[in-house]
Amino acid sequence: MTNDQPQKLPLEGVRVAGVTVVWAGPHVTQLLAEWGADVIRVEPMNRIQPYSRLSLQPQSANVQQLMAQGGLTYALTPDLDPGPDPWNRSAAFNSHARNKRSMTCDITSPDGHAAFLKLIENVDVLVENNVPVTIEKAHITYEELRAVNPRLIMLRMPAFGLDGPYKNFRGFGTHVEGMIGHHHLRSYEDLGPEYTGDAYTADAIAGVMGAFAVTAALRHRERTGEGQLIEMPLAEAFLPVLGEWILEYTYNDRVAPSQGNSHPTHAPHGVYPTSGKRQFIAIDVPTDTEFQALNTVLNATLHEDDRFATNAARMEHRGALDQALSALTASHDKFELFHTLQAASVIAGPLMDELEALASPQLEARGWFEELTQSGVGTHQHPGILFKMANTPNHVRRAPPALGEDNEDIYLDLLGFSRDQYDALIEAGLVGTTYPDDLLRSAP
Amino acid sequence: MCPGSNPGGGTISHSAALESPPAAACYRAAANRPTDRPSLDHRVPGTEEHPLTSLLDGIRVLDLSDWIAGSYCSRLLADYGATVTKVEAPEGGRIRHHAPYADDQPDAERALLSLHLNANKRDVTLDIETARGQELVDALAAQSDIVIDDRGPDVLDELGIGWDALSEGRDDLVMASITPFGLTGPWRDYRASELTLQAMGGPLHVNGSPDREPTKSGGYVAHIHAGISAAFGIMLARLRVEAGGVGDRIDLAIYETQSGFRDRRTPSLLGAAYAGYPAKPQAGGGGVGRGVRPASDGYVNILGHSPRYFDKFLELIGRSDLSEHDDAKLPPAQMSQAFVDEIEATYLTWLLARTKQQVVVETQAIGALGGAIYTTEDLLKDPHYRGRGVWDTIDHPVAGPAEHAGRQLILSQSTRGPVAPAPLLGQHNEQVLVTELGLDREEFEELRTTGVVGS
Repeated sequence: MTNDQPQKLPLEGVRVAGVTVVWAGPHVTQLLAEWGADVIRVEPMNRIQPYSRLSLQPQSANVQQLMAQGGLTYALTPDLDPGPDPWNRSAAFNSHARNKRSMTCDITSPDGHAAFLKLIENVDVLVENNVPVTIEKAHITYEELRAVNPRLIMLRMPAFGLDGPYKNFRGFGTHVEGMIGHHHLRSYEDLGPEYTGDAYTADAIAGVMGAFAVTAALRHRERTGEGQLIEMPLAEAFLPVLGEWILEYTYNDRVAPSQGNSHPTHAPHGVYPTSGKRQFIAIDVPTDTEFQALNTVLNATLHEDDRFATNAARMEHRGALDQALSALTASHDKFELFHTLQAASVIAGPLMDELEALASPQLEARGWFEELTQSGVGTHQHPGILFKMANTPNHVRRAPPALGEDNEDIYLDLLGFSRDQYDALIEAGLVGTTYPDDLLRSAP
Repeated sequence: MCPGSNPGGGTISHSAALESPPAAACYRAAANRPTDRPSLDHRVPGTEEHPLTSLLDGIRVLDLSDWIAGSYCSRLLADYGATVTKVEAPEGGRIRHHAPYADDQPDAERALLSLHLNANKRDVTLDIETARGQELVDALAAQSDIVIDDRGPDVLDELGIGWDALSEGRDDLVMASITPFGLTGPWRDYRASELTLQAMGGPLHVNGSPDREPTKSGGYVAHIHAGISAAFGIMLARLRVEAGGVGDRIDLAIYETQSGFRDRRTPSLLGAAYAGYPAKPQAGGGGVGRGVRPASDGYVNILGHSPRYFDKFLELIGRSDLSEHDDAKLPPAQMSQAFVDEIEATYLTWLLARTKQQVVVETQAIGALGGAIYTTEDLLKDPHYRGRGVWDTIDHPVAGPAEHAGRQLILSQSTRGPVAPAPLLGQHNEQVLVTELGLDREEFEELRTTGVVGS
């Protein structure tokens, strides 16, 4: 039954503080904010937070140009112009920070710590993904914060855990993935892992798992009145992805292979070149019927070749099959071939880069991208929301905040600071809307 | 007794585990190893007046899904306390007929995907193509709070058990419809798989080497990610129902969860919108001391260069003299090739004299980011994960006992109970259909004879 009245967002009235760095933590708070939570990003202005606020790359237009041409695009700024405030203009930040508020606060200073505790009194949830020792040194562990707010739900997302030998090991998502077997699994079948390149899949998984955990804990709190600590190491959140390959070892004593694009039983299963420079189409053929349909579309007779006549034969001659198929697809346009293969009920899809995604008729028809206007940054298409709910039409409500944009609202209205107290924090360099010049010059 | 096994419970000493990693054969024998994690300081034990409960206590889930996204979604809900009843065809759903199999015996009870994804669920086998099968699904849905489906846009609707039918007369149902491209749009009826969804929606085009074809991410990561996303959506909708509001239908397209994937894709989409450039594959191991390199027994991935610790890195590999070099203070891209080559040669010698484990420990000690490239064998033997009690030992009546990927969350106020093995086909037919749904026993037997219910 579809209700006629659009419903309010499920997390309206829930306030979340985020002491988050790099990619995974900010992704959790992004997802909570999208569904109505008031997310306050707590960020220092006397330290630049790498990757979540600003790239580690120096932000000259020259470097932006080099990054763009090299295809390292996740920290680009509009029109490759870093502007006077690149920390407000980076795609790395602005792609997660929509709907959030920004409050500058150095939790490692006494005044900042006191302000942070006041904030904790006023929130339902705290999300953090720092190295555990950072949180301990800052005296904001769950035990310490529970004394201030017994109903607090605190999500901690260390790389490897709050205890154990790797407790304080440091790593990006890509390093965590190495330590759980994903890098090995996704490497080329015929090449060592050094050719694989970095991926940050563990950050994506941790984002949705963390958002699930927080909403489940909110439900528990509604029922029992209790907040709680949730420990969710990135490494452990990712393990379900490896589920059957872990069992392949524990049941069958076999180490998971480097899979490349292969599949345990499907052939062909891979990406095949199409016309143009580095263009590919992905094709997945589970059955003989589909293999025949693929041949019909390509005007080919591979299915009559003994090496490729049955699935078992195709699995055995995968190398030759991939070569033969590549020769057939190479002259086709990937989008035309995609539609023709789909019409013949063959599972296929073009590899789509980001510009092609921005032009995708499917995303367009479903209104997936969100147009946002950000002061000083301009109007652009932003990535959309992960899923839709029939009774709850949902859009991004607010553009990403500039550094410290919401300081006044938060310090004065929410936390009850007097104007004098607030001005003193500005004077002390703890509250503001820009980084100090010397910090920018020495930015790593 | 297998070394490292711990039948008495309690914490396995990290150092002891380091000295004697258990042999591979033990992973199957250790059925009596405690699956509960040793208690952490922050865990507050339950008391009589205040018992610990599961996060999702009392939530009833009807799992009508047939593939990985829906099946993992319901597994996750089951692990944190929901009661999940899976409905599948009498011969078993797709994940029961997917290699690899335990002991390499192709069998619906031995598919590793099923042992993984179906754990902690109840299983009812029904032919939902029949009218009576459809009525029974409708009756099961009436007793459920959540319905999960991943069979495709119209499949259940055409059988008369889609959203419209199941939500008729009630406003509290939450249903997640997980599809490749969504319930609307020009591509809604297109076919897709893990590979093609990663290719079209996700960052597949930038994975791998710039000199080779792009590669997919491992396993069924797009489907698992979609399943977790659906579980998040389900919890959002359920929160509102429990607060007295109405239910909802979640329309989740895996193409869109891949488009919103925060493994480079969302920042790169915004980067493209900002500046008009697509992302490209990045060569691994650019710069100095950065990326995957061999160690004596495998590979490591260390971020050797950061201005914060480059001097320490040079000292670690025995070349603190190079800290005085003019190039040492430059960004890696501006260092001379001769300088980089000299460091790399020394670094490689240093690496090859150490195991990957030693490399990680020594580089972490100077504050460097990094890790080793583990195989699943390394993972299962690793003392850190083992000491934390990451693995669940699950004893399956047909496939036998083995260690599985365990919990994702450690909760201070909520329990995660022991994990039940994946149910046998139709294991709970009688309990669910006769005892709970009140189906007449005579009819139940007849339905089994006619194949509407699995036998």
